[in-house]
Amino acid sequence: MELFGVILPEKDRLSATVGDILRGKGGIPLYLSMIGLVVGFYAIAAIFVKGHAHTINTNNLVPWGLQISTYVYFALLSTGCTFVNFFGHVFFEEKYRPFASRIIFVGIITAVAAFFSLATEMGRIDRMYMFLVSPNPTSPMFWMAVWYTCYLIVITMEYINIQRKRHSHRVMWGAFFTAVITHSTLGSLLGTVSSRVYYYSALMPIYFLFIAFLTGCALTTIIAAHTVKRMNLDATYHLSPFVTLLKVGLGLALLITFWRTTIGLTGHLPGSEVFSLTLINSFVFGIVVVIIVPYLLLKMGKGANWLMFVGIFIMATQLKARNDLVVGAFKIPVFRVYDMPEVVHYTPSIYENLVVVASTSLVAMLYIIFNRTGVFDPRPDKEVN
Amino acid sequence: MVQFEEKDILDIMHEDLQRALKKPRNQRRWAMAIDLKKCIGCHACTTGCMSENLTPPEIHYRPVKEEEIGEFPNVSLRFLPRPCMQCASPTCTPVCPVTATYVRDDGIVYIDYKKCIGCRYCIVACSYGARSADVGHYFTGDMKRETYEVENSGEYGKTFKRKSHWHSPIGNARKCHFCIHRVEKGELTRCTTTCLGHATYFGDISDPKSLIARVTAKANTFRYKEELGTKPMVIYIT
Repeated sequence: MELFGVILPEKDRLSATVGDILRGKGGIPLYLSMIGLVVGFYAIAAIFVKGHAHTINTNNLVPWGLQISTYVYFALLSTGCTFVNFFGHVFFEEKYRPFASRIIFVGIITAVAAFFSLATEMGRIDRMYMFLVSPNPTSPMFWMAVWYTCYLIVITMEYINIQRKRHSHRVMWGAFFTAVITHSTLGSLLGTVSSRVYYYSALMPIYFLFIAFLTGCALTTIIAAHTVKRMNLDATYHLSPFVTLLKVGLGLALLITFWRTTIGLTGHLPGSEVFSLTLINSFVFGIVVVIIVPYLLLKMGKGANWLMFVGIFIMATQLKARNDLVVGAFKIPVFRVYDMPEVVHYTPSIYENLVVVASTSLVAMLYIIFNRTGVFDPRPDKEVN
Repeated sequence: MVQFEEKDILDIMHEDLQRALKKPRNQRRWAMAIDLKKCIGCHACTTGCMSENLTPPEIHYRPVKEEEIGEFPNVSLRFLPRPCMQCASPTCTPVCPVTATYVRDDGIVYIDYKKCIGCRYCIVACSYGARSADVGHYFTGDMKRETYEVENSGEYGKTFKRKSHWHSPIGNARKCHFCIHRVEKGELTRCTTTCLGHATYFGDISDPKSLIARVTAKANTFRYKEELGTKPMVIYIT
């Protein structure tokens, strides 16, 4: 199997790209992402060297913070890319084809970037091998690890197939269903926690899938809009599937967010007051800003630049929404004692924020470099063996 | 104060403990009872536990909650000590992805510090907020660490030194374990022995002659959040 020029960039194109970067011709986004990666890796290194006590603001009241939110966010982005790849191939074959390899590539690197964030939250990352030597099949987290590994393998196969022009429907369906299983398992990881009313819901796995679809649509719209501009493609023709998928995504997100919040508000279990506490945020931010505003923005224009802006808007607001979801469960302490506040507030540290920068920069940098080498561009040759 | 056989209840519980230790481990069922009418909220159990298990700042295996009951002018104060409930059907153990925490055959909810990956899922899942993450805080902060902050705590009968964040139990989940390292040596839990009002009872509840079996076989008892179905082995006497 040919590695360079098909799965990885051609060696000479890669050298030329590196040369361009060294000569200062990389472009502002690339240099920004490289700076972000350096600063982010410094933060990750500091977390490992100094330890959580000196770098992270999570505590006994808020055991999961921004890093877990970022992990969830990137994992959902990856799922979303796989969903868009599936629906793109099934419903919009010709219109979607120029973006297929880019989108599934971003699906892979977002899944990898998710791990960067997750690794920094673990107390003992050096013991991850315990997943192999001492597995617990009753734990959703164990199954998430299993399915996540399968998912990465299948979407990598999908990427290889697309790049080799040997697109297999079996692998495409496999990637779609593995994504559904993996990320509904991630939803169940929170949904099965009966001690946290904010999480505990049969809706949670479905919520994760719907939100994954929306965030994936937003990211792939940015990629598609950028590609349309770069390759001088017909924007109206090629971007129409993404506008359609975005609208569907916003509709699904509206439906699931509204019902999750409404059902939560009717609860009378200990801790149910968290839904009333977060009501304004849930409706004003979680529905109006995150869903209604992007829909109105979509109605205002369909140009490539405008769609990129809408995509970035959805992605930025979704990151805050994921953090609200993960951290919201800890607002009411399970057992309030001593000087614990009645409502717990959590502000991420600078290091935690920089982990987000590291994950984002990794995705941006790898995509920009690969894109510049032309590895995703259509080649005149036929099947590559 | 309730008297039993004209003996100090600590002596009775000590005899019960010796009897229980002669049985195979899987035939014991450790439990704790806390008489809320006797608890005076002195926090001696909390501090005793901290010195026994050398817990770092912000980690309390056995905090005591002060609850105001009733409405003015008919109000009273109740103290609710909360150790780990050592649930027979806990919410924390099934979620551990690497089986680092599990229910032993004597009922102790055990944490294997050498397996724990520090994912904190068990802390999120515990219905009682009884688990804490040891992120590596020291009472001395960034100053020179005192010996008591790094020396062997002896938890679970094993050697663990908190030398840095790469040394367990830093990075792990931590919680009350009914001082199993003391119990297996024939000593009562630290909180039982330091309780000024003799409000804490400990022993093998499967032994009908034991003091804990007798004091809990009464109508005026409850188990915290019993409705969750977790079958807690800490019984409150009112």
